[in-house]
Amino acid sequence: MQMSNLWSLRRRLAGRGLTPASAVPESSGGRTEEACIRPARLVEDTSLRCHPVGAAEAWPEPLAFLDGIQRLHLVAYAGAAPIYIAAIAAAVRERRGARLLTILEDRRRLAIARPRALAAAGDALDGYATLALPEDEPAHPVRDLTQASRALDRARGRLELDLGRRFRVAHDGWLLVDGSLAESPEWAADSRTLGVSKSHATLPFADADLDLYLRLPPGHRTSVFAPQTRSVAPVHAWALRLWEWEAKDLFHGLVRIEVSPANGVPATADLLSRRLLAERAPISTPDPRWDRLLYGIHSVEQYLHARAGALA
Amino acid sequence: MTAPPVGRVVATELKPSTPHQFHFWTARESAIGIGAIVRVQEAGRTVYGVVTDGFAYSDLVTPMHAVLGADGDPVAAGQEPTARAEIRLFTAAVLRQMPEEPLQPVPLGPVWLADDADVLLALRMDSYTGGERSSGVPVGLYAAGGLESPVYLDCDFLLGPEAAHLNITGVSGLATKTSAVEFLLTSIFQTFPPHKGSVAALCFNVKGPDLCFLDRPASLSPEDCRIYARLGLRPEPFPDVHYYAPLRPDGVNLNTLRTNEALAANTEPLIWGLREVLDYAEVVLNRDDIDAKADAFIDFLAERVVGREYQDDMLRGRAFQVQSFADLEEFFRAIFDFMEVLGKGGEVWKTHHLATIRKVRNRLSNISTRSKGLVTDDGAANDLPWGSFADRSVHVVDVAGLDPLAQDLVFARIVSKLREHLERRDLGVDHVVVFVDELNKYAPGDGPETYVRKMLLDLSERGRYLGLVLFSAQQFRSQVQRRVVGNAGTGVYGRMDADELATPGYATLSPATKIKLATLPKGELMVRHPHFTQPIFVKFPRPPVLGGREGIERYPPSGDVSFTEAVARRLRSLDRRISPDSVYAAIDGRREEDVRRALSATRRERPVDPFTYFVACLGKRVAAEVVVPRRGIPAVRRGDDGYGA
Repeated sequence: MQMSNLWSLRRRLAGRGLTPASAVPESSGGRTEEACIRPARLVEDTSLRCHPVGAAEAWPEPLAFLDGIQRLHLVAYAGAAPIYIAAIAAAVRERRGARLLTILEDRRRLAIARPRALAAAGDALDGYATLALPEDEPAHPVRDLTQASRALDRARGRLELDLGRRFRVAHDGWLLVDGSLAESPEWAADSRTLGVSKSHATLPFADADLDLYLRLPPGHRTSVFAPQTRSVAPVHAWALRLWEWEAKDLFHGLVRIEVSPANGVPATADLLSRRLLAERAPISTPDPRWDRLLYGIHSVEQYLHARAGALA
Repeated sequence: MTAPPVGRVVATELKPSTPHQFHFWTARESAIGIGAIVRVQEAGRTVYGVVTDGFAYSDLVTPMHAVLGADGDPVAAGQEPTARAEIRLFTAAVLRQMPEEPLQPVPLGPVWLADDADVLLALRMDSYTGGERSSGVPVGLYAAGGLESPVYLDCDFLLGPEAAHLNITGVSGLATKTSAVEFLLTSIFQTFPPHKGSVAALCFNVKGPDLCFLDRPASLSPEDCRIYARLGLRPEPFPDVHYYAPLRPDGVNLNTLRTNEALAANTEPLIWGLREVLDYAEVVLNRDDIDAKADAFIDFLAERVVGREYQDDMLRGRAFQVQSFADLEEFFRAIFDFMEVLGKGGEVWKTHHLATIRKVRNRLSNISTRSKGLVTDDGAANDLPWGSFADRSVHVVDVAGLDPLAQDLVFARIVSKLREHLERRDLGVDHVVVFVDELNKYAPGDGPETYVRKMLLDLSERGRYLGLVLFSAQQFRSQVQRRVVGNAGTGVYGRMDADELATPGYATLSPATKIKLATLPKGELMVRHPHFTQPIFVKFPRPPVLGGREGIERYPPSGDVSFTEAVARRLRSLDRRISPDSVYAAIDGRREEDVRRALSATRRERPVDPFTYFVACLGKRVAAEVVVPRRGIPAVRRGDDGYGA
């Protein structure tokens, strides 16, 4: 899906009396989360502990990786109400013989704006699915951007869920998802789906436990816990330190692993952790998140970005 | 068009597509390699290119990240669960764009491996192959990705008149240069179109037995035979080959490795006399010798004395008839005798100073000494068949065993004679291919100006108008006179030395092409031709003739034999019915000079009954006579004579 024709779209919108605009919002590339602590319930151990997971262990093939990308671009204003054009895409790449091959892929082009702005644009937005922003408050470009970003996050999440569903229909191998499994009851219940979350905006512990959680040594995991979540599905989780963090950041190499409750037992947590340790290489440079970004997920992102082309 | 594309053109700001170059990527398992010809087709434009370079890289930004990912353990580096994304990126040089105008950057379209029809178009061979006046000469098979296509040279550009000459470079010892020329001559002889006239070849064998068995079939592998069939050629040796070799100083044994009796029928001695040498005296006399005075005297000899009746009553009463070095020596002797008689005033004869005459005499007689076997004293020459060269005939002159001075003489005289006859259109053929190996020796880029180098330069610059074409070979192209190789319209390169490839002459080749050249297997060549905008790699079969090494094993040289046996062999080469014993009996007790003269006359005349003719030439045997001392007149007895004592 090439987005390089936005200038012609802007001309069409200008022809309809709208004001062409051009900007790439800071949050255009992905979801934003609020920093908070949501205490979790321990499933393993009576108090939070560190467990060495043992030596890295290769993942039996095949293993599939699911991720998605999003882009948001301002193209016009209808008065003070912005009109955004967005692209979302998701793909599953499966590893066979150490090679990653795309087995599922989907993408959408979206126009995001208040309903009145969308109406003013008329057929200039033909070919784009529309996402209407709430109109219960007056137009506010900054607030509308926040809402557009959230709407886009949700749209991308839905696309990823849809792709995960389609994958499971045809494949029974392990699926490694970038992010939380709690977004979907299907994922949360799937015993061969694993979520790897790089984000630590929501932390599951406080005080001394948080110290222990964040100061996890490399090659160790925390006790398994059940995170409190606003999302719809219960999962079990643990933190895993992939790389030495000292002299770097506390979050360096720290990932949160989410599995279905059925897999949230210590032996399985150790096994999956060892397998994830094996996924540290090859590292995902030059991505700045390489310490937490598994190469398979990185590869899906690279693939989707390559296919999306450049936003004009 | 039914085959799927093998790649796709990519262009970035740093690696853009241009009208002369483009880049494309392929799957990792692609059959594309250096030298492969590809077709890009997009939006009504077709572009043909040849792959000149290849790159592979992964998404690894720095090697440090690989170390980091493997915890510094090289073993772990090979056990990563996921192989990094990697690319096979190729650079191709444009061979042809269709349509040719407007000339535009190569479109970013799909890339296909070229098939037969594509290769024909890509190399512009469509303009000279096919049709009634086709002028294509197969030079080998282009092979890539399981596809094979014949590649043709345009004989208008190989043998003239548009361009001409071929130069081949390659390291020694791989038999590439000689084999390639033998194969190419086979191809020319079998495919030279009738409308272009007739063609013959003259090869100088300058080392070992390389060209000594062009008339003997090689045992070819089925793969070689398949390539011949694919090229539309017959794997047959040359049907009409003539060998010429000087004699050894004994005057009867041939100075060549082709002395096996089974090969004697078409191996002849190359013998020149005074007349043949004097015309090329400047070749064999060094620069110091050819001052104006010596030159003037040589001219005098050539124009007034040699081959004519020269009368000078002051020297002697009867006329001189100088036909041979022996006659010339007699002439010089007469001059010196005359000058001696004159005494002090006798220092100049017919404006030529005595010292000049002596110098010329010494140098000329030195030729017959140093080139003994090639140059004969007695004047009976045996030369190439000037004026009766047959179409598709090959003439091999074996100079491998000759002194360098004599080699120079042979080169200079034969090429000059070819030029003279072609200018007069009376050689017998319209085109002659002259093959000279070891150009590093005969036309070096530096060093003193020699007659042979001048002659090769002249041949390369003006030969094509006459139909005189130079096929030359050497190990180091960079060290050959630039104009000699520069005039070669077609360049052929076998495996090359890395040092040679580092010289500026190869700067236009990509590093990958150079690597390919440095590791080229036997039987593969890189070809430059005026129709090809880029060099093309082809493979060619073994030549259909015996190689030097094999030939020597199958036809071992007989070695030098006794004078009588050598004479018998030479006569038997004319008529196998002649028994050696009859020859031994015929020459028993004869002077060797007389036998040589009779043998030479017999070879020259080629009578129906060679032995009878030979015996007749020997003349009657003169029986020895015992000289009885005459009885002298007795002395007058002393006695009284009346006068008293």
